Amino acid sequence: MSRNAEEKKSRLYGYAGKILRINLTESTTEVIDSRKYLPEWIGGRALAHRIFWDEVGPGVGAFDPENKLIFTDGPAGGTGIPTGGRAVMCGIGANNLPEQYTSSSIGGWVGTVMKYCGYDAIIIQGRAPKHTYLLIEDEKVSFLDADGIWGMLISEAQEAIFLAHGRDTFSMVIGPAGENLVRDATITTSNDHTLSKAGFGAVFGSKNLKGIAFHGTGSITPYDINKVLELRLKIGDYHHVPNPVTHQTALKSIAYNIPAPDGWDFGKLACSPGCNSRCQRLMMNMKDAFTGEKIAQIEKCVSPMAFTMERDCFMPVGTWVQSPRNPRSMGAQRSWGIPYDENDPDYPVISEMWGGDTTNYWKGDFDKGSMMDQLCKEYGIDKWDFIVWNMTWISMCKKEGLLDDLDFGMEPDPESAEFVRYFIQLIVYRKGPLVTLADGSRRPIGDVFAEHMARAIRLLGKEKYGDSIYHGRYSHILKKNIEIPVSLEAGWGQCTHWHGRGFQGCQKWFWTSNAILHMLNTRDAMSSGHTHLTTDELRTIQKEGICHSPTQIMAIRRTETVAILTDSVPNCEWQSNEMFYPEQNAEQFYAATGEDLTPEQLLMRADRARLVFRAILMRNHGRCRDMEVEDAYPFLTYPDPAGDTVDWEEWNDLVDMYYQSAGYDLATGWPFRSTWEKADLGYMADEMERLGMLPPEGGTPGYVRKECPFEGHVRKKEPAVTGNAG
Amino acid sequence: MKPGNHIIQAPMEYSLCTGCVSCEMLCGLLHDGCIGPQHNRIFLQPGRIKQMVHKILSCQQCDDHPCYEACPRKDQAMCLDLKTNIAYINESECIGCGKCQKACHFTPSRINLVKSRNKDERKAKKCDLCRDKPDGPQCVKWCPAMCLALSEGPIPWDETKEEQA
Ligand code: SF4
Repeated sequence: MSRNAEEKKSRLYGYAGKILRINLTESTTEVIDSRKYLPEWIGGRALAHRIFWDEVGPGVGAFDPENKLIFTDGPAGGTGIPTGGRAVMCGIGANNLPEQYTSSSIGGWVGTVMKYCGYDAIIIQGRAPKHTYLLIEDEKVSFLDADGIWGMLISEAQEAIFLAHGRDTFSMVIGPAGENLVRDATITTSNDHTLSKAGFGAVFGSKNLKGIAFHGTGSITPYDINKVLELRLKIGDYHHVPNPVTHQTALKSIAYNIPAPDGWDFGKLACSPGCNSRCQRLMMNMKDAFTGEKIAQIEKCVSPMAFTMERDCFMPVGTWVQSPRNPRSMGAQRSWGIPYDENDPDYPVISEMWGGDTTNYWKGDFDKGSMMDQLCKEYGIDKWDFIVWNMTWISMCKKEGLLDDLDFGMEPDPESAEFVRYFIQLIVYRKGPLVTLADGSRRPIGDVFAEHMARAIRLLGKEKYGDSIYHGRYSHILKKNIEIPVSLEAGWGQCTHWHGRGFQGCQKWFWTSNAILHMLNTRDAMSSGHTHLTTDELRTIQKEGICHSPTQIMAIRRTETVAILTDSVPNCEWQSNEMFYPEQNAEQFYAATGEDLTPEQLLMRADRARLVFRAILMRNHGRCRDMEVEDAYPFLTYPDPAGDTVDWEEWNDLVDMYYQSAGYDLATGWPFRSTWEKADLGYMADEMERLGMLPPEGGTPGYVRKECPFEGHVRKKEPAVTGNAG
Repeated sequence: MKPGNHIIQAPMEYSLCTGCVSCEMLCGLLHDGCIGPQHNRIFLQPGRIKQMVHKILSCQQCDDHPCYEACPRKDQAMCLDLKTNIAYINESECIGCGKCQKACHFTPSRINLVKSRNKDERKAKKCDLCRDKPDGPQCVKWCPAMCLALSEGPIPWDETKEEQA
């Protein structure tokens, strides 16, 4: 069912065809023809990078009306291609430190329904003069009074929108946390998917925007229907089995077994339209934290940690390393119940469980865990940060006796359901007893934590509240206690995620690679791109030497670019990380659009978007080598579960290798003209030259590596951060 | 009224609907070559917020065929398949007046309608059990959770007046 050349020219297959600009200040809209950017800029994250580069210059903060949020889906959305229904939002984030341009991806129905409304992307700009929500019904955009739903919890607001506009209207809304500009506030869809990681919920709040409801009646036409069907069998075919709901009496994994007093029912859901996987854990017959009624909750990767965190999260090595006979991520396979090939000669390598330090953050408590997850969802606050950062911090600080000078208004206790509820409410409503900050000023304690952990720690005094050592971490590899700081901060003001220490133990090749990816980004880079290898590549890295391995650099660069494709086609990392099916993105892109690119050609387009991202960071945020190297380094100086760290020289050697491979100057981290031109971005090289950010080909003359500015993990002289400063 | 031959959803103890809407999407794709909320003949009714148990609604192929009876172009647009006794739409003759949609016993109606400014594009969409496909209903075939099936069991008449959940 592919089309002839004329048909192919006449329309944009896979795309909706328009981009909608929404000016909240003026209550006006503008429609842009998608052909201005598509299919050249793929869609999703790649498209958003390009639009942001064109439209938002330096000096714009997260909460400024000039900040633009770009919500976009890719060509696979709404085509029936599995994993194609995910979407992405980009803009200046509220929860990274300093505030920088960033992105967040999401499942749910809204991305696809936006396409049914006729739009590949919407650009949200300005600030509404009063509390507003948007109703987008195909061409008609209504700016509606949100006073009636302002203050509502997430599900209350969604229900009100359903009642007002019908159940075929799909929304994404913020909760009270976003309204109060809590920096890790989320935006949540009516089927419980969230834009979590960038703090875009607070940006919505700053724009007086409670939510967006979509009611679309249009349609999407993929280019090659037979190819769509083929992909449906190829991607996730192992899911073509029944999905029975089972009764459970406990919540169990390798690391925990928490009794559920009243039992619960376990089902699995798909995250986005057309996907044939079922990665979402639906916990049914749970107790509503507000009413006590029976409800169902969707719980994803980090949620089980709310129920207990006695040991940190650990998975088999095969979660990131695939062999020809076990070509899929083992972490995903395990949760999907797909058997491993145990006769694989590489099985001992990939099945090794690694890490899993005992941390004793909190004991198992089914009802408290369920409550913690639900409160985060309903108030609209990032679960990952609250569970893995706020609550572990409370636990570690309490055990180290650091909380005595902080008045919470009640005894801080991570084991107490009452305290957990109270603490979330303090943050969401920015209230609580006044505490004295490092600069001598006083603020309500909830107001301090609403600035997000990285800022809160600096406001309170980083030396004591960030860098103090927790002595309760026990390594099962070393059979002894090892150090970890009380605040699990990994760089750019973000919480640790596959950094090998504090929350997830993992091998050194993995966490050093992830640290480079994190360094190059502006936020937690792991949610759409952990580093993946084949078993052969792993052996080569071990031979070449971690941090000095060209194969490791190749894997980092591959992950970085594929992650952009994952958020652009779009795709899903769990489903698309198969090292032995590298054509997947190109096949999806072809089926949707008819653009018959080789995997290498499509990767080049994604790589060009990667460079546009770098250009935004340089032009808008002054990004350079020193910022990157120094931001990511301190957390890596604490031991991983095997006692490994990197030292300054080793870390810089790895950075050098990456920069050289990417065509960046070693002194500045800025691309050479030849690098821009190779990606057809000569005009960006001109712009960089105008900005004084174009290094001479061959590198800055006389460059000498900087002396280590840290003593251990502490910067020799820490610049002060005050108030709400970004 | 006799039992029909219609699509049913399995109980969740056998298989829970994952909410992937593949059934809706593949229905539009394989009948009309495109996907959108006016092109499916099977419908996922989203579960209530905080419940997430989705319900699949489809034509029950009632044997009194109110849709067929209501069609002003009966036997040209809405036709009867004498072999299976189900009503199906011959789209080239359908004028998209929507009378069949209104006549459906069920609420919400199990007949969809493409509404368009262009009169020629207005068409009703009704499940015909993929009568032209040798491997039968495509929603059943492509549902990854295998939670759809063909049934000759009784039509669930208690659902006829069902309000949107
Ligand atoms: S295809 Fe199956 S699992 Fe997916 S929505 Fe339809 S009935 Fe549910």
